[in-house]
Amino acid sequence: MSSSLTRSRSSRRSVVKGGAALGGLGLLSARGSAFAQDASPSASPAGEAPVSVVAERASGEVRMAGSGDAIGQEITAAQLAGFAAKYPNITVTYENIPAEYLVQIQTAIAAGNAADVFFVQNEFAQDFMSRDVLLPIDDYMAEDGITADMYYTPLVNAYTWQGALYGLPKDWSPIGAVYDPAAFESAGIEMPTTWDELRTALQALKDATGQTALALDPNFDRFVIFMYQAGGNTTNEDVTEITLGSPEVTQALEYFYGLYTDGLSATSVDIGAGWPGDAFVQGLTSMVFEGNWMFPTLNDQAPDKEFAVAELPSGPAGPGTPAFTQAYSIFSGSQNPDAAWVLTNYLTSVDGVREMMPYGLALPALPALEGEFLELFPERAPYLAAGEYATSVQYGPGGQTFATDANAVLQSLFAGQIDVTEAQAQLVTAAENNITLN
Amino acid sequence: MAVFPTRKRRGPIEAEDALAGWVFIAPALIVLTVFVFWPIAQVFWVSFHEWSLIEPGRPFRGLANYRDLFSDPDFEIALRNTIWFALGVVPVQTFLGVLLAVLANRAIPGKAFFRTAFYFPSISSSVVISVIFIWMYQQNGLINFGLRAIGFGTPQPPWLSNPKGVIEMLLNAVGIDNVTPWLAGPSVALASIMMMNIWTTMGSMMVIFLAGLQGISGDLYEAASIDGANKRQQFFQITIPMLRPVIFFVTTLGFIGTFQVFDQIFVMTPGGSPVKTTLTLGYLVYEEGFRGFAMGMACAIAVVLFLIILSIYLIQRRFIKESGLD
Repeated sequence: MSSSLTRSRSSRRSVVKGGAALGGLGLLSARGSAFAQDASPSASPAGEAPVSVVAERASGEVRMAGSGDAIGQEITAAQLAGFAAKYPNITVTYENIPAEYLVQIQTAIAAGNAADVFFVQNEFAQDFMSRDVLLPIDDYMAEDGITADMYYTPLVNAYTWQGALYGLPKDWSPIGAVYDPAAFESAGIEMPTTWDELRTALQALKDATGQTALALDPNFDRFVIFMYQAGGNTTNEDVTEITLGSPEVTQALEYFYGLYTDGLSATSVDIGAGWPGDAFVQGLTSMVFEGNWMFPTLNDQAPDKEFAVAELPSGPAGPGTPAFTQAYSIFSGSQNPDAAWVLTNYLTSVDGVREMMPYGLALPALPALEGEFLELFPERAPYLAAGEYATSVQYGPGGQTFATDANAVLQSLFAGQIDVTEAQAQLVTAAENNITLN
Repeated sequence: MAVFPTRKRRGPIEAEDALAGWVFIAPALIVLTVFVFWPIAQVFWVSFHEWSLIEPGRPFRGLANYRDLFSDPDFEIALRNTIWFALGVVPVQTFLGVLLAVLANRAIPGKAFFRTAFYFPSISSSVVISVIFIWMYQQNGLINFGLRAIGFGTPQPPWLSNPKGVIEMLLNAVGIDNVTPWLAGPSVALASIMMMNIWTTMGSMMVIFLAGLQGISGDLYEAASIDGANKRQQFFQITIPMLRPVIFFVTTLGFIGTFQVFDQIFVMTPGGSPVKTTLTLGYLVYEEGFRGFAMGMACAIAVVLFLIILSIYLIQRRFIKESGLD
């Protein structure tokens, strides 16, 4: 059923995989033309990575693991070709893990056989960092002149644990609003910018189109939109206290559930779609709150569909949206950490990320590349704008089983089995049972 | 002392025989030890530790994992769902297996076709079948289409998203509210997976029963019909009793299979959604071990699961022994 699709689409895996069918050829040529001139180091002085000091002494073999479909592997291959040209002393072996990435990487670590450099998604980053699986990279960064402010702050936060940094973000996506401009026109409304306006707009859209205007599922990683906008979070910043019992979370739950009970939002299952993006593609709703993976999906499944993109409406505590990201990190047991760092640095630098950008599967994590990216994909400006205020979707060590429990609580709420008060109490219990506090 | 010389005389030969014996079974023994006995022992070992795959420190916890397990609400939910799953699936698949076997054992036209058709789901990939059933169970899927076509309402929310217990729904219909979770029965979502599981497994059961049926000597039926027994009496007095050992075998297989159910849940309702009503013990092992980084806990669940299946087997065996059919 749909929830399997919903989950895989809504999780961060889709940042890489969501756009499996985005045509490769046209984009390849686009990349050729857009970047042939820019490839020389002097072309973009603002974002150019300085010459690596560590690279002078690094050599030998490095293994790297990632998870990509055909296009994801093609991107990695292009990046590694660029790396090989720049650092001929270092040989990289790439190992692709097509599915069940977390399971595979754990067993590889358990066997003492993990790759030197591998993908770490923000949803399990804290589990890995708190268990010393990853190598802190602060010293390497200082040596090579890489600073955290070269990346969007929420993405760096995702890989910061107790003052040390354990990975550099390779790409990311926030949640934004994708809507049907024709429906907005027929309802005579503009894109709403506050919670109150959102409710009014959804009602107007419903009156105009006769269908529920927003597809929103009872998933915790969608509820967090409203939680962050209300100023709430699962834990405090240092992960020493669970803060799900706060009045901000109550407010967010009431609003989130209110949209549903008042018929302003519907779950994708209610309206017969696999996931909210699918509902939008099929024309079953006029708006969805989804990530950058909507673009490849639309391109692939409904290339002629008219759509517009906007930042999410702001909540009582201002703008807010979850950021999904993944980083390259170095295995703490790596035998060749110097070379592993040089590779990590390259893949997350302007040079490495440029190879990935034209595919449009995810957003660059470097503000320096904003201009170049928007030249290629001008309609995605509202997504990049969220780099200023997004919150990395992380719930602390144990966050993954917490998310499973929290999803069940929200499903129970939407099924009418419990009320908002009980749901909040159960969310707190779920957090206490799963999240390991510092 | 008188015995001693004889033993001494036989000793070397016995030892030689024993050595030869060990040499002959060594290949199998080594393979089994490495791939079966050792991993099983390891599961028990890990279940006594706090063990995450990615941490070198693995402190001994004694029985603490088991203690935590029995106070874990998820374990109770998973146990409940798994028991409902087994109780729903095993009798039905056994009954349908007998029925299909009896039908397919008759001299009907196209017998080979029916046998193949019934067996087909069992030899197909369960993941492929699960994906097909995901489509069929959707809001606008085949099953709802069929229900609408013959004038029935369709469940809302659709099958795999409906957390309402089926027994609870019946009880609510006759005016009984506030049903306890244990009495609520499997959710509509779990029942949907159960129906699919029955559909996929009844073919294998049919094949086993077919073999059983063909092992029953025709003389018995002949003698019975001379004594004046009709078809029905023959079925209940001869066929069913003669099939008893096969029924034991099939239900044992059924319980083992249903208690271990994982792949269909993993594909169709990840996370045990909706509201954990499809969370089974097998799925909880995965969730705890790989997503919760608690392999010790996962192994403790696996050990409990093993003990449950073992006791069901022993109870069944005793039952069969007492009825004189071993």
